[in-house]
Amino acid sequence: MTNGQRATSGAAPVVLVANRGEIAVRIIAASRRVGASPVLAVSAADVDSPAAGLADRVIVIGPAPAGQSYLRPELITTAALQAGAAVVHPGYGFLSEQPELAELLEEENIAFAGPRPVTLRAVGDKSSARREAVAAGVPVAPALEIDDVNDVAGLGESVGYPLLIKAVFGGGGRGIRLVESAGELARLVPQAKVEAEAAFGNGALYLERFYPAARHVEVQVFGDGEGRAQIFGDRDCSVQRRHQKLIEECPAPGLSAATRALLHDASRTLMQALAYRGAGTVEFLVDTESKAVVFLEVNARIQVEHPVTEEAYGIDLVAAQLRLALGRDPELPDVPPVPPATAIELRINAEDPENDFRPSPGTINQLRWPSGPGIRVDTQLESGYVFPPFYDSLMAKLIVRAHSRDAAVAAARSAARAVVIEGVKTTLSLHDFVLSHPDFIRGGVTTSWFGPTWEQRREQEIGSVR
Amino acid sequence: MTDNTAPSWQQLLDLVTQLDSGSYDSASITFGDVSVQFSRSGTFSAPVRTAPEPSVGADNDPVQNASAATSADPTGTIIFSPMIGVFYRCPSPGEPPFVEPGARVKSETIIGIIEVMKLMNPVSAGVDGTLTSFLVRDHEQVEYGQALAVVAEAGTP
Repeated sequence: MTNGQRATSGAAPVVLVANRGEIAVRIIAASRRVGASPVLAVSAADVDSPAAGLADRVIVIGPAPAGQSYLRPELITTAALQAGAAVVHPGYGFLSEQPELAELLEEENIAFAGPRPVTLRAVGDKSSARREAVAAGVPVAPALEIDDVNDVAGLGESVGYPLLIKAVFGGGGRGIRLVESAGELARLVPQAKVEAEAAFGNGALYLERFYPAARHVEVQVFGDGEGRAQIFGDRDCSVQRRHQKLIEECPAPGLSAATRALLHDASRTLMQALAYRGAGTVEFLVDTESKAVVFLEVNARIQVEHPVTEEAYGIDLVAAQLRLALGRDPELPDVPPVPPATAIELRINAEDPENDFRPSPGTINQLRWPSGPGIRVDTQLESGYVFPPFYDSLMAKLIVRAHSRDAAVAAARSAARAVVIEGVKTTLSLHDFVLSHPDFIRGGVTTSWFGPTWEQRREQEIGSVR
Repeated sequence: MTDNTAPSWQQLLDLVTQLDSGSYDSASITFGDVSVQFSRSGTFSAPVRTAPEPSVGADNDPVQNASAATSADPTGTIIFSPMIGVFYRCPSPGEPPFVEPGARVKSETIIGIIEVMKLMNPVSAGVDGTLTSFLVRDHEQVEYGQALAVVAEAGTP
């Protein structure tokens, strides 16, 4: 393996967990699974978090704001040195896709449980990721970069309407604008440039064809860093609100064998061309009208929704990341394109779905999780835990596996109804709504399905009260 | 975390004032994970939170710093580390330390530096008074919020 390691003969190697919340708990468990000692880097707000209670050691790296703690590569690297870490696992978000952390660690001969810095740079901004995809023969949507914000009419014509204005350095669904006409385009582009400059420190924009009736389908890949890449099926993450995923499932339902083969082959080709190291995801849109498949981006990290793949195939992706970083065999089997079971994940957020999904931090008074065949809960919640207001609102992921999609939907609905979380507002009610909806039960809803469907339900409810 | 927050220095000062007007000889208070001990006679074990590596005596040692001051008040302001890193007492190897225990310091007096990935960050006392002791060794790895030193504040006349 190309990763550097510290000499760890005898003592258990130390894994520094550079994240928080449910993924910190998940990485701590995987560290134990591979015989390593987990050390958690925390902000002052997370010193007493449940994840901190599970780690062998906790190192306080800075104050509560992430910009002064979890987002500082030099603080994470200092903590890794203090911990004597052999590996740093960055989780998702925060520094997971920042080449700066991977580079600092490389200088200190500490392994990074993720791709090489050169890969992070190659896929880190959208236009460079797109170039890599085009070079590997992966299908992409018509798109053009904007040179002059005051002269975009021609670009709009060549891309075609409707289209999206996107920030080259954007991510996480932020800063994306939908445009229906040339007039709208001329008006919105200068505005989007100012916003992108403020949000991402760079105002570069591009226009991309928008598919109003598309599904979000992504492929899980694991590369050995030397040009071999294994595929672990696909996931459908089309139930979204404002580009934020709410429900994910593995496998993506109702794909033709040809579409599935195209997605998997394109992903393998791209990741092999990058000599990709570790876990990564290639995201696509699948247009339900034209059946066109277009590349979105590479997520060069473990994803929030990785458990559905783990459950459907019976694998441990996080342990595999750590094993590879430690220079061992990741112990992943070769698997068929379609897994033997279906798994569905529900993201339970501290948000109020009846109130425009407003964040709802606070003290968790009562907490009860369902149990039974195929039920998994990834969470950092404990009764009495004060869910902090400083970070994102994900509290837990409820993952349910069954022998068929119908059985998985029914089991997930039943499991979601059995969850008790008191003290904060949660998104559980939306899950019950979606899992009971005929469109979702049929399978294959598009990314623009949830928003209007949820609003319509609320209007109907308000109407029936009158 | 509302019921488990570290007390502010002002809250501690208020507490001292309250206890001082009472007839207590010693008191021990715990706020969440921070415990504070006060004593008029100056005989108790290490009073600091997140016990740093014991740099001076063990538990049974009486507090050293009370003897230096004429006022028998053993309390002081704790200087907490503003960041994770390595604490150095000297500007550079071979040079004398910024301050020695017992020295008078002003709020802006530099008492040491913390190195984070080769970047040197000065740490100032933050209060006027006498630096009575260091709670970490020279070259020691420190975390954010760790207690570095104690300053007995310049007393009111």
